[in-house]
Amino acid sequence: MDKFILRKAEPKDVSDILRLIKELAKYEEMENQVILTEEDLLEDGFGDHPFYHCIVGEVPEKHQSADGHVIIGFAMYYFTYDPWIGKLLYLEDFYVMKEYRGFGMGSEILKKLSHTAVRTRCSSMHFIVAEWNKPSIEFYKRRGASDLSLEEGWRLFKIDKQNLMKMTDEE
Amino acid sequence: MAKFNLRKAEPKDVPDILRLIKELAKYEKMEDQVILTEKDLLEDGFGDHPFYHCLVADVPAEHQKVEGYSVIGFAMYYFTYDPWIGKLLYLEDFYVMKEYRGFGIGSEILKTLSDTAVKNRCSCMHFLVAESNKKSIDFYMRRGASDLSLQEGWRLFRINREGLLKMSAEE
Repeated sequence: MDKFILRKAEPKDVSDILRLIKELAKYEEMENQVILTEEDLLEDGFGDHPFYHCIVGEVPEKHQSADGHVIIGFAMYYFTYDPWIGKLLYLEDFYVMKEYRGFGMGSEILKKLSHTAVRTRCSSMHFIVAEWNKPSIEFYKRRGASDLSLEEGWRLFKIDKQNLMKMTDEE
Repeated sequence: MAKFNLRKAEPKDVPDILRLIKELAKYEKMEDQVILTEKDLLEDGFGDHPFYHCLVADVPAEHQKVEGYSVIGFAMYYFTYDPWIGKLLYLEDFYVMKEYRGFGIGSEILKTLSDTAVKNRCSCMHFLVAESNKKSIDFYMRRGASDLSLQEGWRLFRINREGLLKMSAEE
């Protein structure tokens, strides 16, 4: 496969984005945890105030996937804010279909994201990786990533909706 | 101390927000790492596209314990996006001046944030805590927080500006 293009996602890409989100979730054995719909993605990504941005990887029709898809990779990102240094680019999801790996698409996606980060005056790119995901950790470390959880002891916490509602109900 | 008021931050609060960011950084012995300026905070928080939101706590003049300051606490947050469930509220910074602790301001801030999360159809609230910060961990656990780093193995990674420039320059 010699050619692929990377471009900003458009509203018409929403069903492909959801398909790829589910494929990545399936790889993590969590496919049934994806409750997001195409409608959510459309509203949240392409309304007045986008809550996420996407880059998609596309191949010409002659290289389409076994089930007829030309959108075969994506990255979802948004901007976050560090109170000490300002804007950061946060990489949320990043996936290339198995059959299309090894052709440099992942690297190109990261390069494009790096360019976006620098252009929008972000101080750095943040993302989380599961500690057991050695291939991904290696991929990122080769590109200069540092493990802030290891170095600085940061842990990610969650308060779910049930407990949020409990707090709002309290007197 | 009977009264305090929680409200959305306004452009005029920017000097106080920066002061409190620096105070919190000082507590972590990192005060000189705060390179953000009032101008950045103004542009990034109160322009066409806010990159963060702030809640501030202020006290009436007659309750000022520290000379000249009526804004005595703040929380900085923004919205992030989970590809499986959609919008989340991300709590970035959260601080109440020492002299004003123990009056329930922290709890009220979290309650207001919970309300904001639910009202904005966020599935949950995420935030980082340093593993050494036992007090904060307990504060959040008491309110139903779970440690996703412990439970699911998530680690926070960073590619800093140097790494980003290197990647965007590569052929």
